[in-house]
Amino acid sequence: MRRALPVMAPGIGSFRKERSRARTKPRPREERLVETHCCYCGVQCGMYLRVSGDGKVFGVEPRDHDINKMKLCPKGVTAYQQVNHTDRLTTPLMRDRRDQPLRPVSWDAAFDRVVSEIQTIQAKYGADAFAVYSGSSLTTEKCYLMGKFARVALGTKHVDYNGRLCMVSAAGANKKAFGVDRAANPWSDMLETDVIMLLGANVGECFPVATQYFWGARDRGAKLITVDPRETPIARTADIHVPLRPGTDAAFCNAVLHVIEREGLVDEEFIAARTIGWGQLREKVREYPPERAGKICGVDPALIEQVALTWGRADKAMAFHARGIEHHTQGVNNCLTVINLVLATGQIGRPGKGYGTITGQGNGQGGREHGQKSDQLPGQRMIEDPEARAHICRAWGITDEELPHKGTSAVEMVHQAERGEIAGWLGICNNPLVSMPNTDRIARGYDSLEFHCQIDFFLSETCVRADVVLPSTCWAEDEGVSTNAEGRVIKYNKAAEPPGEAKPDWWIVCEIARRLGRHADKFGFGSAREIFEELRVASAGGLADYSGMTYERIEQSGGIFWPCPSEDHPGTPRLFEQSFAHPDGLARFHAIDWQHPAEEVDDEFPLRLTTGRTVAHYLSGNQTRRIDALVQQTPSPWIEVHPDLGYSNGDPVRIVSRRGSATYPALVVASIRRDTVFIPYHWATPVAANLMTVDALDPTSLIPEFKVCACRIEPGVAMDETMPPPVPPGGQSYDFSRMTDRQPSAPQGRGTGRG
Amino acid sequence: MNDQPLDYSILPPDPGGARPTWDPSAAAAGLIATAVLALAIYSGSANLLHFDAALVGYTLATLFLAFGATYRLVTWSRSPAARRYLSKSRKALLPRPLGDGTLTASAREVTSTVLLQRFIAKRSRPRWLAHQGLFWGVILATLITFPLTFGWIHFRAVPGTGSGYYVYMMGVRAAHLDALSLLGWLTFHALDLASLLILSGGAYFLWHRWSTRGNSLTQLGRDLMPLLALMAISVTGLALTVSSVFMEGAWYQPLAFVHMCTVVLTLVWIPFGKFFHTLQRPAMAGVGLHKELGVQKGGVAQCVRCGEPVEGTIFLDDLKQTMGELGLGFGDWVETCPSCKRLERGAAYRNHVKEGYR
Amino acid sequence: MTKKALFIDPGRCIGCQACVAACRECDSHPGKSMIHLDYPDPGNSTAAAPTVCMHCSDPVAPCAQVCPTDAIPIDEQGIVGSASEELCIGCGNCVHACPFGVPKLDLVEMLQSKCDMCYDRTSQGKLPMCASVCPTDALFFGTQAELMQKRPGVQAVDIFGFGDETVRTNNAMVAPAGKNLDRIPGGYSREPDSRE
Repeated sequence: MRRALPVMAPGIGSFRKERSRARTKPRPREERLVETHCCYCGVQCGMYLRVSGDGKVFGVEPRDHDINKMKLCPKGVTAYQQVNHTDRLTTPLMRDRRDQPLRPVSWDAAFDRVVSEIQTIQAKYGADAFAVYSGSSLTTEKCYLMGKFARVALGTKHVDYNGRLCMVSAAGANKKAFGVDRAANPWSDMLETDVIMLLGANVGECFPVATQYFWGARDRGAKLITVDPRETPIARTADIHVPLRPGTDAAFCNAVLHVIEREGLVDEEFIAARTIGWGQLREKVREYPPERAGKICGVDPALIEQVALTWGRADKAMAFHARGIEHHTQGVNNCLTVINLVLATGQIGRPGKGYGTITGQGNGQGGREHGQKSDQLPGQRMIEDPEARAHICRAWGITDEELPHKGTSAVEMVHQAERGEIAGWLGICNNPLVSMPNTDRIARGYDSLEFHCQIDFFLSETCVRADVVLPSTCWAEDEGVSTNAEGRVIKYNKAAEPPGEAKPDWWIVCEIARRLGRHADKFGFGSAREIFEELRVASAGGLADYSGMTYERIEQSGGIFWPCPSEDHPGTPRLFEQSFAHPDGLARFHAIDWQHPAEEVDDEFPLRLTTGRTVAHYLSGNQTRRIDALVQQTPSPWIEVHPDLGYSNGDPVRIVSRRGSATYPALVVASIRRDTVFIPYHWATPVAANLMTVDALDPTSLIPEFKVCACRIEPGVAMDETMPPPVPPGGQSYDFSRMTDRQPSAPQGRGTGRG
Repeated sequence: MNDQPLDYSILPPDPGGARPTWDPSAAAAGLIATAVLALAIYSGSANLLHFDAALVGYTLATLFLAFGATYRLVTWSRSPAARRYLSKSRKALLPRPLGDGTLTASAREVTSTVLLQRFIAKRSRPRWLAHQGLFWGVILATLITFPLTFGWIHFRAVPGTGSGYYVYMMGVRAAHLDALSLLGWLTFHALDLASLLILSGGAYFLWHRWSTRGNSLTQLGRDLMPLLALMAISVTGLALTVSSVFMEGAWYQPLAFVHMCTVVLTLVWIPFGKFFHTLQRPAMAGVGLHKELGVQKGGVAQCVRCGEPVEGTIFLDDLKQTMGELGLGFGDWVETCPSCKRLERGAAYRNHVKEGYR
Repeated sequence: MTKKALFIDPGRCIGCQACVAACRECDSHPGKSMIHLDYPDPGNSTAAAPTVCMHCSDPVAPCAQVCPTDAIPIDEQGIVGSASEELCIGCGNCVHACPFGVPKLDLVEMLQSKCDMCYDRTSQGKLPMCASVCPTDALFFGTQAELMQKRPGVQAVDIFGFGDETVRTNNAMVAPAGKNLDRIPGGYSREPDSRE
């Protein structure tokens, strides 16, 4: 430029321009639309992918699907940009020793190494020494296959999945109370309700498109109650917001039920006809007057009374919760106290009356019910149930002796690796170096492995520690089904060919099985459809019965709710209309006592740290931290602190817990409790929120307590640097340099007004 | 999917200014311009001695162009914003006493924005190249054909050489050319070169329009006709060369007629459509320099709310005057930066419309 | 009012920026977002407010009126477009004259662009990108009747006050129904300290 740029007023140049040259190209005139769904959260919004004449995915078009009615969140809008992303893995990577860099190798070389390592380790330490750790962002076919692969091809009991970090507490509570693990109602039921209570669910940011149901209900006059330590975007406008202390949900729900019981607002008729255990529970909640709970929760008892009366007097009411009450050492109990409330007031099994958890991962529901969970077999069957074992052995053509028993959970497996009890590891569709609690210990676990293979389509922080990395497809390059948070099964369609030598995950896993040779004939699948056909058979008669579904039916119907036991069955959108899934058809109350979180505050660590998501990113960020629009919206993490703590926006704040420390810029907000700080967890070391979190587990669900641990904060010196996500050898890292100011202006990211 | 077409039952008020109304004084200016051009043609061609009667169609079209373009320029310059900037642009570019650098600044500004159009290169390099092709092709063609048409330049064979020509400018013998020399060949084929430049640039733009989706409000229709017109002129012009060089003049007369038609239509079209930017843009070439000098002279205004720089003080004063003349009664609002305008509106909504929208 | 327009309700906005991302997907300006998303009260609230072009009808498009090269087109339905590429000289008059703070300016390309209500989509009967993806319908595209049917308890106001002046627009803001409003305050008043 000859001369300096003219004066630029704030924000007038904020086009949020796309970074890559290829992306700013004008759109081609030739296109076809491929019907599919979003790959991210449990809402599973319908969308069209725009595919050019030469078969490249180049854009997205809103789709008027039953679930989302054209709506998408910023992640959904930009999801397609993963497909032709320059960071994609296009060839297998391998190294002989961990101190070497990963280098591209042929598929044969990679498979030879994987197979020989598996055989060596299993011969040396036994079959269970090799673990499979899977994920729930895979299609249900792949989730099913991972369970079968671990148990049949490897013969190991150590298989688990990353839903263990997500919604297993709700799953455990639902099983206990209802006998089945699924949201009880389709979300459209919300439009008929009078009161919605939302506990520990930052719906506006984690499930933005689900917000339309909440707003739709409110437009028709429904009241919204939110329970969250932070005043999140959806809590901002709620009729009642309860900003309770993290880790006190059970006390709060008990107190709400206390008031309802005291006021005679329980549904005696429903309790008598359809439940067991009310007597014990009634005694228990009588121990929780609002004054006591108010002290525990750090909220005004009057607020609890108000919530109780609003809920108790409602003709129709629905409760939803998410990770906020589930990520606790008492996660299952927390969920049970919500279910108690729902059952005691008879608010279930009717339009406008219901309950559900909002699954965090796209296929969180489908991924946990077809046998990649350490204690389950396909169709939501329990692995120690002899009848279930017999059915699956028949479906798979193996003997009962060949089918391993219950294994350990995800975090436990990494800890076992640290202790040397697990020596080999196949990871797929997860990034525990960001997503598991107490990151340093997780890193030690992975580094202790003798062999570690990771399957992914981007090089994650976990992949860079592996010995072999196998390149797989993203969701747009393969077909398969996924089950959303409502229990609705939808289908992804293939829009493009995988880049380079990348292969579908099911092909990779089947190829390993074929080369291993153990039951090789059980892995002769040639397409996702073939796996789905076997899954239908395996799930038949189980709780999550998919046997009546076909790809064609799913596509024609806009999704089918399981159970769907025959091809003429319409599916089951609403559960519990007549009976619950326990053999006697009754639901169970559980008398729950509130317990302290695993780590209480003390003089040294006087604050509570809670972690969560922000709207622009998804899970460990391996996908979203590479998408330009999302990085521009939210380039790096921050620590949310209350104004009373004396910091200013942008100050470096060092947070210290018993496990780690990091320095973040402060985002000073009045929307958080003054005894609590918040960090979003999508980024890796040195700014990983999980450096600080505690790896204490819920005794039933084995979910880690991400949502509360003790910490202290102090003025920091230098901000810890957010590293760009890893890229394959020869790739170019994300360039933050054009962002002069990376400080978010709100929890939802940077406004377009500045920078 | 919503497939209802937009259904506007209430049309917004008449978009003022954009409606063409007859303007007698602009017409007078146009007539004067036409008369001046006619006089120049008359005297430049030695009282029509060197005027080629076959080219009378071109001449008439050019005379109409002189009228139309002047008329449009005058009506355009009536709008407060255009008038203010036309004068500021002219003042910024006018050479001042030598030594203070403004002459070179002006020259550089004109080279950069008018001749090289560097702002287009910043938008897209291929598009810049293609536009440069169009631009220089048209400039070259204009510089040759207009003087030829008006009889300002003519050639006369040097007797006895067979390939030698004298070049006469405004009736005076100015140079000698050998048609077989390189310079001679270039001179006689300069129009072919111009055509090729235009065709290659135009081909890119056509392909670009064809293969990509654009913004129909600012592009299609408006865009395509001028492009096709330029390409038609070039193709028919080249056809004339082909006819005379390779086909011994076959079809020359009908081709010449068609060529003239394309040129005449294009010339007549210039004041009305996209082509008018060829006059508007150079007229505004000094605005960038004006803004820069304004910042040097008057400094930068800070946003009254956030204190960040908004724009040059002189720029904002100009804009306030313009808005005042247009009857836009919120001229002082320009002292608030656009970002703060939005934040203030958001705050007002929160305080007065939907209280509790916390 | 039976015409289709954008109805904006910042009170519903969750600030997710889906509109900002979706705007880049519009074919008329691929890779560039024209929408603004501001957090008007950072620190105190997660409140957010989207800004799209309101397409002023009275006075007609101040941005187009102050344009020295007549670069900003207005179609017969009152939709105010982005500046035409061949005419825009990037002077910035429109950017600062717009009472809503809408137009954006690329100082390298010397080119203004702004929200044109997804002209290429709406003229084919498709919804504008921002409104079609907006998870909360804070940006709603349709007729006023459609809006009222979905949301009893609101009114739409298409007149804004800037000091003593009013600006009437093709798009409208949503306000609570009972509220007696002859105009939506535009945030501008002559007294500098009138804001909170």
